[in-house]
Amino acid sequence: MNILGISAHYHDSAAALIVDGMPVASVQEERLSRRKNDAAFPLTAIEWCLERGGLEPEQLDAVVFYERPMLKFDRILNSTLRAFPKSWQSFPHAMKNTLGDKLWVGGTIASQLGVPRRKVLFSEHHRSHAAASFLTSPAREAAILTADGVGEWATLTMGRGKREPNRTTISLLRELRYPHSLGLLYSTFTAYLGFPVNEGEYKVMGLASYGRPIMADAVRKIVQRTADGAFRLDLDYFEFHTTARRSFSQRFIDVFGPPRDRYEPIELETPDGRRFADCAASVQLVLEDILVEMARSLQRETGLPDLCLGGGVALNGVANHRILQECGFERIFVPSAPGDAGCAMGAALYADRIHFGNPDREFPDHPFWGPSLQADALAKLAREDRMPVEELDEPRLLDRVAQDLAEGHIVGWMDGALELGPRALGHRSILAAPHSVAMRDRLNRDIKRREEFRPFAPVVPIEDADRYFDLPPGGKRLARFMSGVFPVRPQWRDRLAAITHVDGTARVQVLEQDMAPRLYALLKAYERRSGIPILLNTSFNLAGEPIVNRCVEGYLTFRRSGIDVLVAGQTRVMKPDREKSA
Amino acid sequence: MFLPLHRWIWRDPQRCARKLFAFAETEADGGRDLVRAAELTQHATLRRLFTVHAQDENRHAELFRSRALTLMRALPDRSAGFVQLNWVAPGERGLDDLRVHAETDASLLAFLHLSERSAAGHFATYVEALKSDPLTRSVFKEVLEDESFHMNYTLAQLNRIAPKGQKAFLWKARLGRLWKGYLRVMSAIAGKMGTVILALQYFILLPPFAFLAKRAARREPAGWTEVKEQNGPTLKSQY
Repeated sequence: MNILGISAHYHDSAAALIVDGMPVASVQEERLSRRKNDAAFPLTAIEWCLERGGLEPEQLDAVVFYERPMLKFDRILNSTLRAFPKSWQSFPHAMKNTLGDKLWVGGTIASQLGVPRRKVLFSEHHRSHAAASFLTSPAREAAILTADGVGEWATLTMGRGKREPNRTTISLLRELRYPHSLGLLYSTFTAYLGFPVNEGEYKVMGLASYGRPIMADAVRKIVQRTADGAFRLDLDYFEFHTTARRSFSQRFIDVFGPPRDRYEPIELETPDGRRFADCAASVQLVLEDILVEMARSLQRETGLPDLCLGGGVALNGVANHRILQECGFERIFVPSAPGDAGCAMGAALYADRIHFGNPDREFPDHPFWGPSLQADALAKLAREDRMPVEELDEPRLLDRVAQDLAEGHIVGWMDGALELGPRALGHRSILAAPHSVAMRDRLNRDIKRREEFRPFAPVVPIEDADRYFDLPPGGKRLARFMSGVFPVRPQWRDRLAAITHVDGTARVQVLEQDMAPRLYALLKAYERRSGIPILLNTSFNLAGEPIVNRCVEGYLTFRRSGIDVLVAGQTRVMKPDREKSA
Repeated sequence: MFLPLHRWIWRDPQRCARKLFAFAETEADGGRDLVRAAELTQHATLRRLFTVHAQDENRHAELFRSRALTLMRALPDRSAGFVQLNWVAPGERGLDDLRVHAETDASLLAFLHLSERSAAGHFATYVEALKSDPLTRSVFKEVLEDESFHMNYTLAQLNRIAPKGQKAFLWKARLGRLWKGYLRVMSAIAGKMGTVILALQYFILLPPFAFLAKRAARREPAGWTEVKEQNGPTLKSQY
């Protein structure tokens, strides 16, 4: 059975193909269109998935969209009516936005792909999240918690999933409904702090470490707990339900002070800079507390040792660490793409296992579902520019790259198939020595061109992880796709200064050899030179651009930035001394 | 002819700062378009030139951003509610809509040439208008110097890859810009008309439904909602 999953129209559109219950391909549209967070109907991604699977559209048995457009429209219309007459400005905007094309997605799919309408199916937004989390994990039975901004009506769901050879179930027990949303709460603070919504949430988490949660009580006043253990937002502090212009109200400003101008840099030594950091720390603490309490009650109710987390909120690695430590779960599974992009795969899996009742299959435990690298293209590109090119056998290449890293060079690393999701997990990465603050500052300044308070992540072989990082039981699993933030052991913080955040933590990737064998071998080669098998691993992109996919994209990123060495397959290209920024 | 208008636009430091920030974003976007062009072209020379051009655009973005920040920090009131008048004083390619993947090398070069020439004209006017602000003026002067290189290389490369069709490509690009401009104006007018019609409907048709929706909202209990179809509804429905 050939099933195509699609997510689109809000942010991060994507396509995924499964054939006979096994994933074949999945890619975000942005990686092919090169427009960051591309929300357009993912025609290029669909075409690539079908090509990868060797299928024509008419060979598809079903095409599953990741949410229900009419139910979503029902929520938009209802919430506008509930806010009458304050919503008079947002109503025309919402109607034009929805009635233009988002509502007719079934017709769009049928006409763009040339498939009959009866083959087009619609999953629910949070069921797609739940499926993306549970059905891609190795857990046979698990509690499920999904949380994001909003889907159709639900903003947070709790449930459980069970996989048996011939029957898979995902039962959602209860849900919180719009406008009461942890995702929207965090996004409101993201906007208040002057960062772009759906993109700047990482920055809030990074900034939080520099602040003190002295405004947590004020945040708790606008997120009130209900008697049944849920919460409700006090809508007097928000405007996202009445206007498209801004998400926080004047009352919110009265409590937290004037918002940050998005153009103004955050200077942590100024009173305003400290206030913004304190705001970030306060909302982060409240979010963590609520998630921990909910996850604890879910564990008590289900009695299960495994938890699958889905939705954009599952990208909050600090909260994930606390859930693992404090809620009684032995393992937590977060997929590599817990946000909407991963819903394409989730919707397809949900249709296969639950709607069509096909037998359960083990999902390969890696994130590399995108286009493969055509590494020979790099040598051609570099030679056209008269750049020095070396083509080396594997041991010599790894030894040479380890030497580059030990000498303080920054390396662009491209290998195999592209990752699905926002993290570079070893196939499209920028690698560097993790030892000095100077390296972190150089990366922030010359390559990523981003705020100095943002941390970098390390990658470490699984057998060495405990030596350098304080991982609780289950921590290695959570760190497989960089989904948890854990303390760096105090005795190593000075020698791992580039990846140790101001609060002594790191969003570590724990690497098993099978998942990315070449990166694993490089870590071991680096250990032979430096004594430490850890590298700084950040996504291979520049500010405002998506992660690179093809060689030419990696090569041009290398040429335009402070990256010193580029490796693709067996090819190594090094900038001439005059071009290096180090 | 419009010099007095531009002097007025640029005289206010707050508007000046906001416009420069907007220009910085436009330059950075333009840089990304050029990187995309470099990724897509099969010509090594064009790839190199587009890359250099993209780096220039990023440098311009940094120049504009840095000057804007300096101006903004000197302001007593930094509130954002200010009309920027970008229709009257646009940045580089600020009003153009470029779909790089849909262009050939030749059509892209023709578009870039015209776009750079138009931007150079605007920036020359701003240099004139900014006599009272020598630091901002020097930023535009520096950018203007690069624009002449961009105008020249795009025309030279267009000559190289389409020696016979050069004029036709330039005319097509001109007409394309005009057509896109027309579409933008018409879309804006249609958008405004749509807003007015929907706003009228909102106040005339919706009040009774709003009353019912509010009443239903008041009846909703706070906290958790039990999911009735725990195993999920059918996938065939959009509702």
